[in-house]
Amino acid sequence: MPTFDFTSLLWWGLPLAAAPVVIHLINLLRHRVVDWAAMEFLLASQRKYRTQILLKQLLLLLLRILAIAGLVAMLAQPRWTSALTSLLGGRRTIHVVLLDDSFSMGETFADAGGETTAFSRGRRMVERLLEELAATPGRHELSLGRFSRLAAATDNTAPADGTTTPESADLPPETPQDSESQQLFDLRGELVTPQNLARLRQAVGDCRLSAFAAGPTAAVRAAAAVFAGHDGGGAIWLVTDLRSRDWLAAEDTVAALEQLAAVGIDIHLVDAAAETDEPATTTDPSPRPNLAIEQLEMVGGVPASDVLLPWEVTVRNLGPEPVRDVPLVIREDESERPGVQLDQILPGDSTVARFESRFPNAGGHFVEVELPVDRLVADNRRTAAVEVVDEADVLIIAAAPAVDSSVDDAFYLATALDPGAAAATGLRPRIEPPRALATLELDRFDSVWLVDVPRLDATEIEPLENYARRGGGVVFFTGPATQPELVNQTLFRDGSGIFPAPLADAVDLLTDQRNPDAPDVVAEDHPVVAILRGRRNPFLDAVRIDRYMAIQRSYQPPPDSGLRRLLSLRNQAPLAIEKPFGEGLAVVILTTAAPTWNSWARNNPSWVVVMLELEGQLARLRRRRENLLVGEPLTLSLTPGVDRIDVEFLLPPDGLLVRRTAEITAAGGLQAQLTETATPGGYTARWQTVTGEPLERVAAFNVNPAESALQRIAQPQLARLMAGVPYRYERADQLEPDSTSRGGSSLVRPLLVLLLVILLAEQLLGYLVSYHPRRRHG
Amino acid sequence: MTPASKRYLPPEALARIGRLELRARTVVDGVLAGMHKSPYKGNSVEFLQHREYTPGDDLRRVDWKVWGRQDRLYIKEFEDETSLRLFLLVDGSASMDYRPPRFDQAPGLTKFDYAATLAASLGWLGLSQGDAVGCNVFDDRVRTSVPARTSRSHLGSIVGCLEQPRQRQPSDFRSVFRSVGETLPRRGLVVIFSDLFGDRNDLAKGLQLLRQRGHDLAIFHVLDDDELDFPFDGPTRFEGLELPEELTCNPRALRTGYLEAVEAFLSDVRGRAAAARCDYQLVRTGQPVDAALVNFLARRSRIRN
Repeated sequence: MPTFDFTSLLWWGLPLAAAPVVIHLINLLRHRVVDWAAMEFLLASQRKYRTQILLKQLLLLLLRILAIAGLVAMLAQPRWTSALTSLLGGRRTIHVVLLDDSFSMGETFADAGGETTAFSRGRRMVERLLEELAATPGRHELSLGRFSRLAAATDNTAPADGTTTPESADLPPETPQDSESQQLFDLRGELVTPQNLARLRQAVGDCRLSAFAAGPTAAVRAAAAVFAGHDGGGAIWLVTDLRSRDWLAAEDTVAALEQLAAVGIDIHLVDAAAETDEPATTTDPSPRPNLAIEQLEMVGGVPASDVLLPWEVTVRNLGPEPVRDVPLVIREDESERPGVQLDQILPGDSTVARFESRFPNAGGHFVEVELPVDRLVADNRRTAAVEVVDEADVLIIAAAPAVDSSVDDAFYLATALDPGAAAATGLRPRIEPPRALATLELDRFDSVWLVDVPRLDATEIEPLENYARRGGGVVFFTGPATQPELVNQTLFRDGSGIFPAPLADAVDLLTDQRNPDAPDVVAEDHPVVAILRGRRNPFLDAVRIDRYMAIQRSYQPPPDSGLRRLLSLRNQAPLAIEKPFGEGLAVVILTTAAPTWNSWARNNPSWVVVMLELEGQLARLRRRRENLLVGEPLTLSLTPGVDRIDVEFLLPPDGLLVRRTAEITAAGGLQAQLTETATPGGYTARWQTVTGEPLERVAAFNVNPAESALQRIAQPQLARLMAGVPYRYERADQLEPDSTSRGGSSLVRPLLVLLLVILLAEQLLGYLVSYHPRRRHG
Repeated sequence: MTPASKRYLPPEALARIGRLELRARTVVDGVLAGMHKSPYKGNSVEFLQHREYTPGDDLRRVDWKVWGRQDRLYIKEFEDETSLRLFLLVDGSASMDYRPPRFDQAPGLTKFDYAATLAASLGWLGLSQGDAVGCNVFDDRVRTSVPARTSRSHLGSIVGCLEQPRQRQPSDFRSVFRSVGETLPRRGLVVIFSDLFGDRNDLAKGLQLLRQRGHDLAIFHVLDDDELDFPFDGPTRFEGLELPEELTCNPRALRTGYLEAVEAFLSDVRGRAAAARCDYQLVRTGQPVDAALVNFLARRSRIRN
C-alpha cells in the first residue's frame, strides 16, 4: 500500500484538488451575457451535444482534479510498501549506528562545504539517516554507539599482567561489565519518528571526537547484543575511517559481522575518510601526510630544582614524502620557551630531537611539545609530567658504618651520587640500616641501594620487592660481608626473588698472563654504560678488579628472565647484571662499592658516571609510569594515617576541579582514583597530610601514537577480509541512504509518469471540448 | 477582395454617418460612380414579344404592320412602359436588433441598421431613375408603411418610415406578406430585408402569396457576422431576443452544432426562396453595403437580360 514521507503535506495539499471544481463554479458565476437572436440554432446544438459535452466536461474536471492530486501526492514522496509489510504494520526495524570516534577520525578534508573532518562527515551521515528513517513508514528503532565507549564496555581482552593490546591500550575511563554495555550507547533503541527527530539529532550533534584509539571489534560485539532476540529486519551502520591499523587484522570484527549477516542484518560500511576526489567505490591505501609526536621523555638526570634535565622528543613522519624544517614548539608549564627544529624526517621514519629544561622550583611541572598543524591535529601535541624535588632521596642500605671510611661502601656510593656543591646532581643519599626497609615509605625514594648487606629478613625483603614490583630500582653491591648461600635462599629464591642470579662465592680475578694489559672491566651494550662504550675509555680501562662475587657456573637463566649484563670482567664473568622485577628493575654489581675489592671508586671518574647513569636509569622507570595514555585511570596511593582522604584533581585543559575521596583497598592501602582522563594533557592531584602539609602529584595523559597512521585498507584487502560477509560499501560524504533499506520503494517516478499522462490527456480533452482559445490570424 | 471592393464603404465607416438618408445617398453615390450605365435605363420601352389579339386588348397596342402583311391581329408587347414599382419590406423584429459585443470596441451596423441602409440606398437608386418606391417596416404585422411614389423627395418619407420607433415583435411573415400583397395596388419588385428568423413555413407561404400576386421578389437575407461565425469564447449566457429562452454554456463546445444548424437553416431558406422564384442574397453585416447593392444590381441585370 502506498505511504507518504510527508503526510502533513498531503493533508494540506489534497484540498487543492477541489480547485478545478471551485474554478468551474466561479466561471459559471462570472459568465458574460449576450442578447442573442439565433437562439434556435444554439438550442438545437445544445440539444444535440448536451450529453457528450457534459461527459467531456466531467472527464476534464476529473482529469484536472487528478492532476492536482497527483502533483500533491508526488510532492509528499509516496512510497510503496509490500502487502506483507502492510499486514505487519508496526514491524520493528532495528538500526545500529556505530560511530568511530577514534582520534584519527579528526583527519581534515576539504569538502565542497569547506574544511571538515571525517567525524563530522560521519555525524552528518547519521543525521541524514535519522531524517530518512523518520520519513519512512514502519517502526524504526535506532541505537547509536561510539567505538570508544563501547570498547570500554566490552573489552575483556587485556592481559592480566598489565600490558595492553593496541585497542585496549587507551580505553575511556568507564569500564563496566558486559551487562552494562548497552547503557553506553548514546542512543539505545530510540524510536525514530518526526516528533523526536530534533531530540535525536541533538544527541548525534552532542557526540564529540574522542582522544582514544579504539577499533571496531568491541563496538560490533556490543551491537550484536542489540540485535539479540530480534527476528525482524535490521541494519548495522559502521561509520569509520577504515584505517589499516584497525582493519588489516580485524578477523574478530569480521566474525562478529558474519554472525549478524547470518541472521539477516544488513551491513553497511560507511567510509568517512575518503578523499573528496576519490572514486566512490574504492579506497586509497596510500599513506597520507601526517606528523606525530611518538614520545616525549626525560632521558636521564635527576628532576631536582635548578638541575638541567635532558629531554628527547620523537617525531614520526607517517606520510609518503620527506618533510623538512619542522619547527617544534616547547612549553614548560604553559610558558613557551625557545623551540627546536627538525631538519628532515624521511617517510615512515622518526627523528629524535633533544632539548633541556630546568625548573627552579620543586613541585609538579609539565613539559609540552607541539608540532605545526597538519591534517590530524590530535597527535601534534604531547605532554610529559615531571615531579621536581629540591633533592631526590636515594636510600642506601648499609649494615653498619665502617670505622675506616676507605672501606665504607656507603660513603663511596653516597659521594658518587652527591659529589657536592660543585656538581649538583639533585640527589640526596640517605644511609640507613637494613631495618629501614621495613619502616620507611620506600616509594618516596628514587632508588634503593644495598651495599654489602650481610643479611635481610623477610620483613625487610618484602617491602623491598614490593617497591621494585611497583617500578622501583634496587641495586645490590656484594662484598666481604655478603653471604652467598643466604642471598640465594632469601633474595634469589630459585629465580622468584629480586636478586638477579645465584651467587657462588667470592673469587679473585686472576691476572691474565698472556695479556697483562687487558682491562679488567668491559662495558656491555647497555644504555647505562653506553657513554663508556664505542671507544677505548681510559677511565674504565684503569679500573682494577681484584676480587668479585662469582655467579654459580651451573646457573642458566630462563629465556624470559630478561637478565642482561651491564659490565663484564675480562674473564667473561659478569660484573654487573640487571633483572626486570615487576615494573621495576634489580641490578647486582658483583664487587664492592668501596675500593676494597677493586680500585673503581678510587679517583676514577667512570665510577661517578656509571653510578649516576644507573640511578637515572632506575628513576626513569618510575617516572615513565607518570606518562599515561588517555583513558587510563589516575591512581594515587596515599598513606593511611598520614594523608587526608580528600583529593583534588585538576583536569586539562582549563583546570577543571574534580574532587575524589580516597578509599581503602583490599590490600589495606589507601587509594584515590580519577577516571575522567579522556582529555590529553597534564593532570594534577593535590591533597594534604593530616598535619596540613600540602602535597602534589602530576601526571600526563597522551593519545596513543599508533592511531596516527592514516593509511587505509585497500578495497581489495577489505573485500578479501569480508569475504563471505555481504556488506555494502558507502561513502559518508556522498551517502544518500538507500530507500530500499527503508521498507518501501519510491513511487515518485511512476507518479510523475502518470501525472504527465494525465496532463496530456487533459490537454487533449480540453482541445476536444474546445476550451482552448482560438488561433487568431492577422 | 477584388480591387473594386476597395471602393466600398465598410460598415464601420458607414455606421459613423448618423442620418440614414445621408447614409443611403452616400452608398448610392458610390454605386453610381462605379457603373457605366444604369441597369434600369431604357428597359421600359424595349419590345418584348407579339401575341394574338384577344378581345379586351387595347387596340392601341395592335401591330397594324403585321395585320397588313398577314391579315391577323397581333398585339405588340413591350416592357412595362411605366417606371419600376419598388416595394421595400424591412424586418423590424427584435432579432434584427442583435448588437454584437465587438461594437463595444468599434461602432457598426446592427442587422436592422444594415437592412435600413440597404433599403434606403436601393430606394434612392430607384427614385433617382424615376421609379416609384414604397416602403414597409414590419414585425408580426406591418408597422409603418409609405406608398410608392416617384418623387425624389420621397426618399425623406422612406427614411422616416425606416426610422420610426419599432415594436420589436417576432416576425410573422405569412400574415405580413399576405397583407402587403393585398394592399399593393400594382405589381412590382418586392425586396425583403430580413434575417428570416421565424417560422419558415410561414415564410414560404408568404412568399408564395406575393408571387401569386405577380410580384417580383428579392430577399436580402441579413445576418450578423457573429451569427454566421459564432466566434464566442468563455462562459457565456445567451438570452433570446425573441425566444424566451436562455442558455449558459461554453460557446466553443456548441459551435460545431450551432454552425451545422445555421447551415441547415440557410440551405432551407435558399430552397424555399428558390421555390418561390425569389432572388435570394445572403448579406452579412460585415460586408460593405454598397458592395451588397452592386451585387444585387448585377444579379438583377443578368436576370433581365
